[in-house]
Amino acid sequence: MFKNRRFFIGLVGVAAVVTYLIWTGVSETMVYYMTPVELMARTTSDPSLHQVGIKVSGRIVKGSWELVSGEELIHRFAVEDLEDPGVAFPVVYQGLLPDTFNDHENVEAVVEGRFREDGVFEATSVLTKCGSRYEASSEELAG
Amino acid sequence: MALIVGAALLTGGVILYILLPVIQGRFASLERSEDELTESEAKKRVSLLALRDVEYDFATGKLDERDYKELKGEISREALAALREVEAESERRRGGAAAERAGGIEADIAAVREGLRTGTTCHSCGHMNADGSHFCANCGAQLPAATETPPG
Amino acid sequence: MTVLGELALWIALPVAIWGMVLAFVGGKHGRGDLVLSAERSVYAVFALLVTASAGIVAAFLGNRYEYLYVASYSNRALDTFYKASGLWAGQRGSLLFWVVLLAFFSSVAVFTNRNKNREFMPYVSGVLLTVITFFIIVLLFADVNPFEKLGFTPADGQGLNPQLQNYWMTIHPPTLYLGFTSFTVPFAFAMSALLSGRLDSRWIVVTRRWTLLSWFFLANGIIFGMRWAYQELGWGGYWFWDPVENASLLPLLTATAFLHSVMIQEKRGMLKVWNMALVTLTFSLTIFATFLTRSGLIDSVHSFAQNTKISFIFLGFLATIIGVSTVLIIHRYPQLKSETEIQSFVSRESAFLFNNLMLLAVAFAIMWGILLPLLSEGLTGEAIQVGAPFFNRVNLPIGMVLLALVGIGPVIAWRRASKRNLTKNFTIPLLVGITVVGIFAIRGSRHWMALTTFGISAFVMTVIVVEFFKGTRARARIEGEGIPRAFVHLVARNRRRWGGYIVHVGIVMIFTAFAGAAFNVKVIQTLSPGQSITLASPLGHDYTLTYEGMSSSRGRNMVWQAVALMSIDRDGRRVGSITTEKRLYETWPTPMTEVGIHSTPFEDVYVILANADDLIAGAYENDPAAQRATFEFQINPLVGWIWYGGLVLTFGALIAMWPSQGPLPEVRQTAARREAVPAAVGAD
Repeated sequence: MFKNRRFFIGLVGVAAVVTYLIWTGVSETMVYYMTPVELMARTTSDPSLHQVGIKVSGRIVKGSWELVSGEELIHRFAVEDLEDPGVAFPVVYQGLLPDTFNDHENVEAVVEGRFREDGVFEATSVLTKCGSRYEASSEELAG
Repeated sequence: MALIVGAALLTGGVILYILLPVIQGRFASLERSEDELTESEAKKRVSLLALRDVEYDFATGKLDERDYKELKGEISREALAALREVEAESERRRGGAAAERAGGIEADIAAVREGLRTGTTCHSCGHMNADGSHFCANCGAQLPAATETPPG
Repeated sequence: MTVLGELALWIALPVAIWGMVLAFVGGKHGRGDLVLSAERSVYAVFALLVTASAGIVAAFLGNRYEYLYVASYSNRALDTFYKASGLWAGQRGSLLFWVVLLAFFSSVAVFTNRNKNREFMPYVSGVLLTVITFFIIVLLFADVNPFEKLGFTPADGQGLNPQLQNYWMTIHPPTLYLGFTSFTVPFAFAMSALLSGRLDSRWIVVTRRWTLLSWFFLANGIIFGMRWAYQELGWGGYWFWDPVENASLLPLLTATAFLHSVMIQEKRGMLKVWNMALVTLTFSLTIFATFLTRSGLIDSVHSFAQNTKISFIFLGFLATIIGVSTVLIIHRYPQLKSETEIQSFVSRESAFLFNNLMLLAVAFAIMWGILLPLLSEGLTGEAIQVGAPFFNRVNLPIGMVLLALVGIGPVIAWRRASKRNLTKNFTIPLLVGITVVGIFAIRGSRHWMALTTFGISAFVMTVIVVEFFKGTRARARIEGEGIPRAFVHLVARNRRRWGGYIVHVGIVMIFTAFAGAAFNVKVIQTLSPGQSITLASPLGHDYTLTYEGMSSSRGRNMVWQAVALMSIDRDGRRVGSITTEKRLYETWPTPMTEVGIHSTPFEDVYVILANADDLIAGAYENDPAAQRATFEFQINPLVGWIWYGGLVLTFGALIAMWPSQGPLPEVRQTAARREAVPAAVGAD
């Protein structure tokens, strides 16, 4: 049905443009997604990772949250590894935290931003995993 | 107790309901129904709608006059072919009593057929020519001489 | 009641399997009795699943916390309304709800076709029951049985996430599920056409309206979800390019593509394989979206808990669907060849083809974004993610081309169009579009992406208005009717076309609203009672918001509720007030924020209570010093147009779907008509 050459050229053109958009889109906006353990290990071996966008998934350390400035909404807290709670790093974030954020309930969080050379993670966004209030385990219900 | 009765009723009811057709030999039809549109009827319908679309497209300035005439001829030809097929089919089905459904837009087709009979519609390409033409404006074929004055 | 419900779910499985087997066997061997039994199985399964759902709802209403699912999503103090909607609050219940809806649509499909399309129906029932069987198996055997018991009875449940205690959140999932499930019917018809070998235009005709229905639900479900996010998540945004949101958008895109390309098949007998593929793809994507929400395979703020057993079952099912339909399409390929070819590059067919390509390109880009973390981790061991910046970058340009096509399509004639006509028809709309861009540019706006979108929107709107105008005029002339009458008849006689144009108006409004987000204003400010802040709206006026103070209130199910009051003046004149709150729910560990929204037709003033020195003292002891609080203020231009656009879209879709009587549009051969047609030909 693509006897008409113009259709074929059109198809190839569209495919090329879309591929180009996706390719440059990925390379310019991608972030590395890692756990705190990976973050520590990889930034030590490759310092250039301090300059790029990184997303880290971990757990908010209990009792670590502190409101540095209420007027500017600057928050400071720590995120630890889900499997190895010994590995943790401090996070600073300016803005509104999600309602589900807290530092006393083992909240899992995903922070996105840049891991500075001084070892502080400067977050541009903080997400807590909410879902429909996770499936409660039976131990929780018993307690 | 009430629970057991309820469960038994539910299970029994469902089983009876779905098994009855097999036991009693009751059938669901698997045949095409009489009044269902056949493929040629569907084609005819599509052609007639296309004919209407072309008219509107021309009236709203989306088609050039030349394209309009060409398309109208082209679609009329398709419609005619579908129409013939429908007639042949219904004749086959009803043994010759071709009871055609009355529909307003079919008047258009009647005009095309009239044109075919009186010679204004080209037999080789289906283009509708102006009354009194001797050669087809689309393909150049010679048109049969009109035997009677076409109705205004 | 609940025990009976559980029993019903177990009985539903053998009944569904029985019906599925009988449908296929009966269809193959022409056994009408088996087919009737299979069709009755569809109704029976529906009744059984309704009983099962009633069991869950009864457990919620009766506070039966010995059931894990009820204990996880409800508590005694919860409003009855939210208790009843607990059926779809969590993963387990929502899967049951999904399959009930599917059984409902299956029953409707079987019932409405009890006297027609009989050649298809054995296979239609068979395919529908196969999908139902699959979901019942998942429910019973993949650790998601909603009837699972705890082994003890807690005194009270855990309660429902307060963010889900919202009207929009209550109707958003069901609407989306209605869209997902109803698309199984077009898929079943497509498969039955392939299985029975009756591949003429008939299955398309049946499928079309179902697809439109499904599209309608999907679109509304997504808009409701945006509405909820805007109101409840408290960020002032409505779309986050989250994997689950994206997954729900995918079937909408491919269904849109199908709704357009199906017209080419109907009118020209082309693209038959393509349409089959689109139906299969759309159906697979509805299953994929359902799966993604539930597997936790990809991190998302929406996903339910992680469950790998479900992942394998779903992936297996998806692979089966795609495999079987591909084999069937190849098997029937000789009957699916095109009858004609596209005549001209400049024709509506080719505009539709282009539209299809663009829609699939968007779908592909989104799919790529969803799967990138999985792919990159599998291939290089390093997970790479893309977020909103990627989706915006890729989809904005393609979206703008699509929007432009909405305006170009209607003006190009079927089969062929000439350049001269294009120039004639496009001049005015193009001028309007350029003028709009010009006005904004002169007034100093430099958001070029947004301006271009406004320009294209204006172009498309002009095209549609002119189209309605010309159509009415042509009809008035051809049929010899008065203008109002001609207008009504014009729409009534070709509801699909004109209803479709109205849907397009809704789409244009929604795109305009998206572009409006480029002009959002956002300020964070700390205020003491009596202080105020002045914000300049992009529409040229000023808003002054004065913090009046804080008060307390106590809603149902809450420990405390602190309410901050703001009054709003527009250019010095009082126009209203806003409240924004923090509330602590009894069943939730942290305070929840309620935003305040003051909506006007062209912009929303949106205030979030971000932080307060001492909420409790401020709200309950009326101590002004403690009431000092930090707010985020936003002005969101045009955001309301998404919801208005949704209404317009709904209206248009209803017009297009409304069943029409009679097989042929009636066109009378009036005297005026006989004169008008040749006159129209002769003119120009």
